[in-house]
Amino acid sequence: MAGRWSRWRRATQVIAALVYVGLPFVGEPWLAGSLAALRVGRVDLVEPAGALSAVLASGAIPRALLLGSLPVVALGLLLGPVYCSWICPWGFLSEGIDRLRARGARWPDRAWEAVRRPRVVALVLVLFSSALLGAPLAALLAPPRLVTALPVEAWSGRVVPWFTGGLLLAFLGLELLGPRRLLCRALCPAGAMAAVLRRRFTWSPRFFANQCRCPDAPACHQGCPWGIDPRVASFRDGCTSCMACVDRCPPGALSGRSRAYPRGLQA
Amino acid sequence: MDGPAAWLRSLLRGEPPLRPPGALEERAFVARCIRCDRCAEVCPYHALRPAGARRGLAAGTPEVVARDAPCWLCLRCPPTCPTGALAPVAAARDVRMGRASVIRERCYAHQGIVCRTCLDACPLQGEAILQDEELRPVVTERCVGCGLCEHRCPAEGSAIRVVARGGA
Repeated sequence: MAGRWSRWRRATQVIAALVYVGLPFVGEPWLAGSLAALRVGRVDLVEPAGALSAVLASGAIPRALLLGSLPVVALGLLLGPVYCSWICPWGFLSEGIDRLRARGARWPDRAWEAVRRPRVVALVLVLFSSALLGAPLAALLAPPRLVTALPVEAWSGRVVPWFTGGLLLAFLGLELLGPRRLLCRALCPAGAMAAVLRRRFTWSPRFFANQCRCPDAPACHQGCPWGIDPRVASFRDGCTSCMACVDRCPPGALSGRSRAYPRGLQA
Repeated sequence: MDGPAAWLRSLLRGEPPLRPPGALEERAFVARCIRCDRCAEVCPYHALRPAGARRGLAAGTPEVVARDAPCWLCLRCPPTCPTGALAPVAAARDVRMGRASVIRERCYAHQGIVCRTCLDACPLQGEAILQDEELRPVVTERCVGCGLCEHRCPAEGSAIRVVARGGA
């Protein structure tokens, strides 16, 4: 199963996880942060859902926050939710748990459809509550922030991170016992924001119908970590540009190297 | 803005903790801080701790527990904040974290024992803490609330405490 794209993606996930575990030990002003906000040199990279919830909670639009979100929004528009599938250590963890509990079990048909709308509703609810309660809940509760804040709190803060650790444990329990990958699919505000940013031109697997030779249950559909059928995919679905389907397509009807949704192919 | 939302907020939040230099007023700070932990990461003194669950909605925001790890006023944290929840501070003298307050019953100097630990610990020597005619410490308006005195005080549980700005 481990094709070219999957190997690259796995390597990227491992490197990202190692970077975030190692960051607190660097502790330099030019390289610090978590997945809520990272600074590399003079560039700020701020996760947009968290930033938006801070704007709504505080009623202020800080310039730094705006500038910091721009590169991340641009990345989301161009490459899709690679934040989730290629970078986020929580996503990496969640994939591992899902592999353990599912043992290769395939997703029910149209698994994604069940959470498409609830996910956006969850994001809107979190943003609304942020404004109501005066705290940026989309940043506070986002699994990517929590998982990357854990090493910082333990090492830099010199505290036992009960709050962060407790929330993460609760989330892990949900991943183990609840619907498969519920947090990533439906609840994570950062993931929902990344999905909302996807456009027609965003990097996604491209499907060439004339080269497709598979029958009813194609390997691409079975291999999708979200249960999406890439042959009828739309830019509004939960594809995270992980390219697992491309790796599994024997006749080469799927490609990760062309423009995503050519005219006339949108579902 | 009063009403159910304000009531819920007061329920979920306790007394304001000591905040890093440059922090906005407590409510604005909690609303704007995205809990990215960058300030805690760049603090060379491990003085910024993410608040725990007992802070309610302020959980994850940086706070200073001066008795354990005070602020050394190096001012590395404000420039690293991506949201402006920590506003830039020009000099240590301009910091407004809170103000130290002497607990007389515990203070050695107030019991006639010669002690000037807090005066010696103070980074604003001769400005923030002075002595009265009986050599007892008196905190002035210049105190920025860094907590170095609270950290060093030899009295059990510290006889000098920083009261966070906006606190009782």
